[in-house]
Amino acid sequence: MKKILSALLAAVMVLGMLAGCSNNPGGEGSKAPDSDPTKAPDAAQSEPVNEPAGKPLEGQTVKVAALSSGYIDAYPEMWAEVCAAFEEETGAKVELVLEKNLEAVIGPSMQGGDYPDAVLCATGRPDGLTEQFIKDKLIADITDVLSMNVPGEDKKVSDKLLGGFTDTTLTNPYGDGKTYLAPMFYSPCGLFYNADLFAKNGWTVPTTWDEMWALADQLPEGQYLFTYPTAGYFDAFFYALMRSFGPDFFNKATAYEEGIWDTDEGKQCLEIVAKLASYTNPVTPAQANNNDFKMNQQLVLDDKALFMPNGTWIVGEMADSPRVDGFAWGMTALPASQSGGNGSSFCWIEQIWVPQGAENVDGGKQFVAFMYSDKAAEIFLKGGAVQPIEGITDKLDGDNKMFYSIYDNGADAAMGGFATTESVAGLGSIMEVFFDPVNTLVSDPSTKDAWISGIKDANDQYRAHLVG
Amino acid sequence: MLRSKGRSRFIALCVAPAALLFTIFMIIPTLNVFRMSLFERGAYSPTETFVGLNNFKILFNDTKFITSMQNTILLIVVVTLITFFFAIVFAAILTREKIKGQNFFRIIFYIPNILSIVVIAGIFSAVYKPENGMLNSIFSMISGRNIMILWKDQPIIVVSVIIAMVWQAIGYYMVMYMASMSAVPVDLYESAGLDGAGRLDQFFEITMPLIWTNIRTTLTFFIISTINMAFLFIKSMVAPGMLDVGLSFMYNQKDAGLYGYSMAAGVVIFLFSFALSALVNQFTKRDVLQM
Repeated sequence: MKKILSALLAAVMVLGMLAGCSNNPGGEGSKAPDSDPTKAPDAAQSEPVNEPAGKPLEGQTVKVAALSSGYIDAYPEMWAEVCAAFEEETGAKVELVLEKNLEAVIGPSMQGGDYPDAVLCATGRPDGLTEQFIKDKLIADITDVLSMNVPGEDKKVSDKLLGGFTDTTLTNPYGDGKTYLAPMFYSPCGLFYNADLFAKNGWTVPTTWDEMWALADQLPEGQYLFTYPTAGYFDAFFYALMRSFGPDFFNKATAYEEGIWDTDEGKQCLEIVAKLASYTNPVTPAQANNNDFKMNQQLVLDDKALFMPNGTWIVGEMADSPRVDGFAWGMTALPASQSGGNGSSFCWIEQIWVPQGAENVDGGKQFVAFMYSDKAAEIFLKGGAVQPIEGITDKLDGDNKMFYSIYDNGADAAMGGFATTESVAGLGSIMEVFFDPVNTLVSDPSTKDAWISGIKDANDQYRAHLVG
Repeated sequence: MLRSKGRSRFIALCVAPAALLFTIFMIIPTLNVFRMSLFERGAYSPTETFVGLNNFKILFNDTKFITSMQNTILLIVVVTLITFFFAIVFAAILTREKIKGQNFFRIIFYIPNILSIVVIAGIFSAVYKPENGMLNSIFSMISGRNIMILWKDQPIIVVSVIIAMVWQAIGYYMVMYMASMSAVPVDLYESAGLDGAGRLDQFFEITMPLIWTNIRTTLTFFIISTINMAFLFIKSMVAPGMLDVGLSFMYNQKDAGLYGYSMAAGVVIFLFSFALSALVNQFTKRDVLQM
């Protein structure tokens, strides 16, 4: 009797431990009505026959994974409402995974071959999940979504999309004219500052780098020209900087053209970053980590640094932080490379894409198409998330109206980024080669030459390993 | 006969769950790490290419990896020495001396150990903050002028990480030593006292030899756990790329889409920690004293 009992206990232990390993991402999965595989028939089976009201995805399940970003803090029900609207429109059932650490949640199950049907996760995140999918060519071609009708409307997706948004490496990573990632939200990036401080001191916002340095030299002690949240924020900054030397230079540099960093423009680009590093508030690198970056943003609120590169989410992110009296957010494009030239601002795009291995690729595509519907756009706007849809800027108000008008005020838009390369062992990423060393550059300017030669070396190696 | 057969069946049944779990979750993944280090593949890619020992060849020429391992070794040596010194001294004081509020100190020292790394990173954010941070404020107050040390910037960042790691680890090891120290019979100390041995002599001649087995075991634990903890501290406290240890290097390679390469680094770190533990075990061998 005792033995049987022990054996039973042992069995329970095994079961208990194995049960702990069930890999249901998100946790909510267990609460949701069971995702019985028989309920998610493949597209062919469930097509027309049983749809009286023309609901195209009746009975299908669409699994959506979305990054819970700053927009969700502003309007938590955002995604739930959009999914409900999609369900109502198409009759599909949406299983939503909404997580701040999305990569850690869906990553392991994707390694096991279980893919969501649509993933909202932009490139440029530290985990590089989307980049890895691009490099390994694991993303479904969604060019046909552009000519699809937006579910519930009789307009095509491409009719609603703003021009230029599906022409860059961010959406067409292989440069073959095919779209793999859909532009979901966009946000102009630029230099943020305290508009009130400029008004009080009678300063004008610099439009060239020379004016910028002149301004820096007249600052009182304890006030510095520049700060940055983390070195990672230099990516948007650097793209805009490259763009300010002309679209031609931008395209060559992002395609790793040979000797590009020895050209006049290339040298000036790096020189500006190095010089800016010397005008940076010296405490910046000590706080430029994921734990303390808000302290760097606080430097601008406290007038201890004039400018920082950032995105429009900064207003919401720092909404509860103390600030000097009269503080008012201002945003400017990067100064022009020479007087008379245009400033430039990087257009930061979050992409939504469909993994090739997804069970319901068509459902995923429908979901992507629905993202551009008026209904979805309206819900997303409540969280301050702006999509590249015709006429959307007219619906903005407050700070956002000012931010999104940056391109109307003469700034050139920098879109896209460095071309995709294969991962090569021993070769650092763009982030590691170009931007991480800026921290060291601020505290030790003598590392400048090492930084530049590192960029030149990497440039040659990247070119040799281009994907596409 | 029948009885012993039933007995061994019973033993087998009892051991089976643990053995099974150990195989599934420890042995197979470890073997898999070794296998994958010979391949190159992206983390999410279904295809893999066999590259032989190529990953290792590149790894040993990768200056980033070499620096990371140097940092790992530096952290292991320094953190271990400091932690063990303080843990043993505090444990000796708290068990042997009569101090008011012994339990209070014990709890205070132990608390860091139950905090998660994220909380610790948050605490040290406040401690190391350049402006109005705790450390800089204290230094400024003492010296009477405004001191601004950038604790989380090069080159002092290593020191800051070491301080945090020591602070986190002391309590746990102190409690371990207190347990074994209180098992040392009091009459040993009494008779040593009668023979004229001072407090220090008693500590080195009685306490240390009698808890030596304990120190040896914990030393091995500690070295292995420092390799892991260093990674967590670096990840949560330090700006990316400023200070890397072996495991954070490995993690970054995974994010860069180099799964095989990252596993090769994993293999090296695995062998390194095994070798190190074996060496430590060898060098700390003493005759076991019976109480």
